[in-house]
Amino acid sequence: MMLKDKTRRLGRRDFLRYSAAGAGALMAPGLVRPAKAATAALTMHTWSAAVDTVQSHLSAFTKETGIPVNYGNSPWAQYREGMVAKFVGDAPLDVMWVSDAWLPEWAEAGWIAPVDEFDNLMQYNVEAEDFCTDSMTYGGRQYGLTYYTDYMAFFYDEAKLKEAGFDAPPSSWDELVEQSLVMKEKGIADYPMMLAMAQESWLIEFISTLVYSHGGRLVDDNGVAVMQDPKEGAVEALSWVVDAVNKHEIVSPACVETGELAGLKAFAAGNHAFAMVAKYRLRMLNDPEQSQIAGHVKQAMMPQGANGSHATVGWMRFHGMSAQAAQDKARAENAAKLIEWFGGKADGAYTFQKLLFLDIGAGFGVKPLFEDPEIRAAYDSYGDVDMIQAQQALARKKDTVTPWFGEWNDTNGSAWQSAILGNVDAAGAVAKSADLWNQLKDSY
Amino acid sequence: MLFLAPVMAVLGAVAVFPIAYSLYISFFSMKLTRPNRTPFVGLKNYTDLLADEAFWGAVWRTVSFSLVSVTAIALIALLVSLLLNQEFRGRRILSTILLVPWAIPYVANALMWKWIYDSSYGALNGLLYQLDFIDKYMVWLGDQDKTLFLIANAFVWKEVPLATILLLVSLKSIPSDIYSAARVDGATVWQRFVHVTLPAMKPGFLLVMIYETMMAIRHFDLFFILTEGGPGSASHVLSWHIYVETFRNLSFGSGAAMSYVLAIATFALSYLFIRTLGRRI
Repeated sequence: MMLKDKTRRLGRRDFLRYSAAGAGALMAPGLVRPAKAATAALTMHTWSAAVDTVQSHLSAFTKETGIPVNYGNSPWAQYREGMVAKFVGDAPLDVMWVSDAWLPEWAEAGWIAPVDEFDNLMQYNVEAEDFCTDSMTYGGRQYGLTYYTDYMAFFYDEAKLKEAGFDAPPSSWDELVEQSLVMKEKGIADYPMMLAMAQESWLIEFISTLVYSHGGRLVDDNGVAVMQDPKEGAVEALSWVVDAVNKHEIVSPACVETGELAGLKAFAAGNHAFAMVAKYRLRMLNDPEQSQIAGHVKQAMMPQGANGSHATVGWMRFHGMSAQAAQDKARAENAAKLIEWFGGKADGAYTFQKLLFLDIGAGFGVKPLFEDPEIRAAYDSYGDVDMIQAQQALARKKDTVTPWFGEWNDTNGSAWQSAILGNVDAAGAVAKSADLWNQLKDSY
Repeated sequence: MLFLAPVMAVLGAVAVFPIAYSLYISFFSMKLTRPNRTPFVGLKNYTDLLADEAFWGAVWRTVSFSLVSVTAIALIALLVSLLLNQEFRGRRILSTILLVPWAIPYVANALMWKWIYDSSYGALNGLLYQLDFIDKYMVWLGDQDKTLFLIANAFVWKEVPLATILLLVSLKSIPSDIYSAARVDGATVWQRFVHVTLPAMKPGFLLVMIYETMMAIRHFDLFFILTEGGPGSASHVLSWHIYVETFRNLSFGSGAAMSYVLAIATFALSYLFIRTLGRRI
């Protein structure tokens, strides 16, 4: 009854007064602090890939270490911009996935921290592919442990090859032209070679592969553009593409609007005999539910240019630590444990990399996994594991990954496209790209 | 005044402040990836544009795209509005169908046209091939000479319905007495169109020209989804240039400067339309 009377007397002014007092009390420093102190959780952010696998592996981590983790993810397409906004806005962040392409930019900005002072992380380098460790290293410091790695592979449709009368796939780019011309003549494919040269994030991987396999490079060890030098393979590689499209007509002129995924689908539909796509696509290409040429797709070493080799480009995605985590010793140690759980061994095995491979076919950067019976069996069901390993051993990191890579990349892609379209010759296009590279280098 | 304060505060926070702040940062070399180096550069971001070939190339392509698009929209909308102003069986159904492109979101429209133009499985190739107009599938968006026109076509398809409605409103407002009087005076159909219909439609045209020009100059979605500025730089228009500079290169200072140039150009064009067409209304 008393309560009822009191409630009746609670007027609008009283309500406002009590509400303000309550809000003020909540805002008082003494009451806010415990909330922060109670959350010793780490924050991890990734792009939206293998989300279920990540979450289950995180649960296992928390169970094992007692360290809770707040997990968030966002689409790959907006990931870099979103992460930059998080860094600039000083959002809570401890561990995140990083692409090799962004490492210099993020390291120079002071957003991510080297992890090479953590012995528990560095012990895995002896078992990692060299290009993986190279791709995680900037300015002599290593910034993470591998999450996923892959490389650009050369695939061919064995049935079409046999139909054309060839016993072996081409080992050089010139040989590829010869075989393609025969296929055209026999009506096996209008455009035997699939190249995806659309302006998208894959383009630099295709370009780098073409240049490396022609025995060249785009930039030297000092970060100076050498792509314009005719002896350095870039001009030769672009000339080969220009001729393939315009002179031999073995590559569709639509290549400038064909993205990697569209090209892959066209190859899977049986429209081409040869394709250059990421190695992990092999599983899909030999899956009868997803590919009309399933069972016929084989991998060969990347064709080589006249002065080249079977080299290809490899790329890395890795687990990195934020600079804000590194500033607090205890937090950094916990973050390093989390990185090890994902990028190194968990319970004595490379569990996460193996899970990713078995779940979605994602490549791994640690050599011992090639000896894992389950992985060999999985690879053997759709590919040649020895060929896969041999090509991976020849993968090299992108030499253009620098703080100004993003600014240069669009212009470089446009320059290559312009040459393919016949607006400018190959040497002119590459020279334009080199000029911009050197301008950007000077401005940094 | 006290009652207006909340509204003023919201407007200040969501409109005035962002606009003022973007103007402010346009005077700095502000690049998000270099957070510790953001020097004041005054008008340099603006003056650099004068010597930037890529910027002027983008301006030229934007002008071409806008000119082609707005002209086509105005002409097609005029013809369709004249048709819909007539009484005939099925007029209401046709009017409803006409609204469909307008109701489709820009991104969905862009994706639809990407499929239509596809060089391997596109509907356009399929149609032309079956009608024997082509003997092999064509590369549409990958052809630099056609790209801008094909994107303009997709833009026109989306924009014509609104322009038609705006012109139709003008047509409906013309009193039938004027046509009757013109007929009594012996005016032919063409004379009635030129001396009665067209002058009465000027307010509608003015609105269509201003709105569609602004839309065309600033348009982004189709370029983003169909070509990403390619092939080469064939569809590298101003809005794409600003996007790349701001959100890919994360150069907010120069991106803001370009945005102001685009905004000023849009205002100037609108003013020009009002001065030239508006004074005769």
